[in-house]
Amino acid sequence: MVDPSVVDPAIVAANAKGIIAIGAGIAVGLCGIGAGMGEQAIGAAAVGAMAEDEKFFGKGLLMTVIPESIAIFGLVVALILLFVF
Amino acid sequence: MGKSQAVKYAYIVARVRAMKGKLIPKEMYPKFLNMDIPEITRFIGESEYKNEVDELGKKYRGTDLFEHALNQNLALTYRKLIEVSQNEANYIITEYLRYWDIWNIKTILRGKFSGASEEEILEDVVSAGQLRYRDLLDLIKITSVEGVIAALSKTPYYPALSGYKGVLADIENNLDKLYYANLIKAGENSKDRFFLKFLRTEIDLKNLKILFRMKSAGMEREEILKLLIPGGIELKEAHLGRLAALPFPEFVRALEEYSYWKAIAGVSNDLTSLINIETQLDKYGLVNITRISYYYPLSILPVLDYIVSKKLEVDNLRIIVRGKETKLPEETIKAHLVM
Repeated sequence: MVDPSVVDPAIVAANAKGIIAIGAGIAVGLCGIGAGMGEQAIGAAAVGAMAEDEKFFGKGLLMTVIPESIAIFGLVVALILLFVF
Repeated sequence: MGKSQAVKYAYIVARVRAMKGKLIPKEMYPKFLNMDIPEITRFIGESEYKNEVDELGKKYRGTDLFEHALNQNLALTYRKLIEVSQNEANYIITEYLRYWDIWNIKTILRGKFSGASEEEILEDVVSAGQLRYRDLLDLIKITSVEGVIAALSKTPYYPALSGYKGVLADIENNLDKLYYANLIKAGENSKDRFFLKFLRTEIDLKNLKILFRMKSAGMEREEILKLLIPGGIELKEAHLGRLAALPFPEFVRALEEYSYWKAIAGVSNDLTSLINIETQLDKYGLVNITRISYYYPLSILPVLDYIVSKKLEVDNLRIIVRGKETKLPEETIKAHLVM
């Protein structure tokens, strides 16, 4: 009979990997939602300004992608989780 | 999840800010004073008014062209605001721009009352409200005041018009009161405290102008009270009652208690003409809305700031051109400009 207090190291490793993957997924997912929420107002404003004056295209685009850095933070955390641990 | 306040107003605010950037800068007005009418028309024809000047250039000349181009541009700009806004902003803008319906109804009724020609009335009509240009053309074709009122029976303005007994001043007054009462109701419905604050300040400024005019004309308290619009922020009904009862010099002194005093303090010594007072009050209104629109950038206030600024731009241009046409001295024209 197998002693229940002895856990197979292969199962532990597999479990840990799974949890890390979930963590990485949550990091990227939540950061994506956050960046999207940040961008919705900026994007709307950029389109509004651009509709009046095409010169705002460059500035509008720049402003719109600034919250995108949050998504990159999430990606970095996910990569660290997946490849460092 | 509902949209936040910021998201609701981001689009329309960015758009009107870009539109405001295209208004004529105030440094230009002194330059206009040194130009002749054809030069000003050419300048205007190369600016935001290009389409209107080109389109109407075939039909009109000189100041008529100017007047029609300004009115048409104003109407199209305001109509565009209604078309590009959504939900709450759209509701408030639509209600606020009913001002022009009132304006048009008054213009047409006055025209019919004094027997002006259709062309003359058309010159002053600005179809920026809910009554379309076509509707207004139909109204202008009616020959009598009663006929115009009957044609308006299906509009929300009819309650103010139905009591017409041969005196235009009464229904004009009713129209103003109806407009502001509906606006206050709209502000309360939308629960937009910024809009309500702006509106109540505007009512105060309007009441102050009425008070100045009536007081300098020596009208009785009861007569003045009939004209004043209820709902101001500082000048509540009790205040208005007190101010209306005072003789002119004491009335001016009593205004020191209110925050509007700082707007008119500089010109309160010379009250032979009310032009300075009215210009200063308009200027106060403009400065006030511009200032608070920067305090609350993602609200309805920047849109209202644009509406007010655009109207004043058109008024200023009209003052300059009309002043030049009648050869008024530069100083007099300058005194009328709100900038």
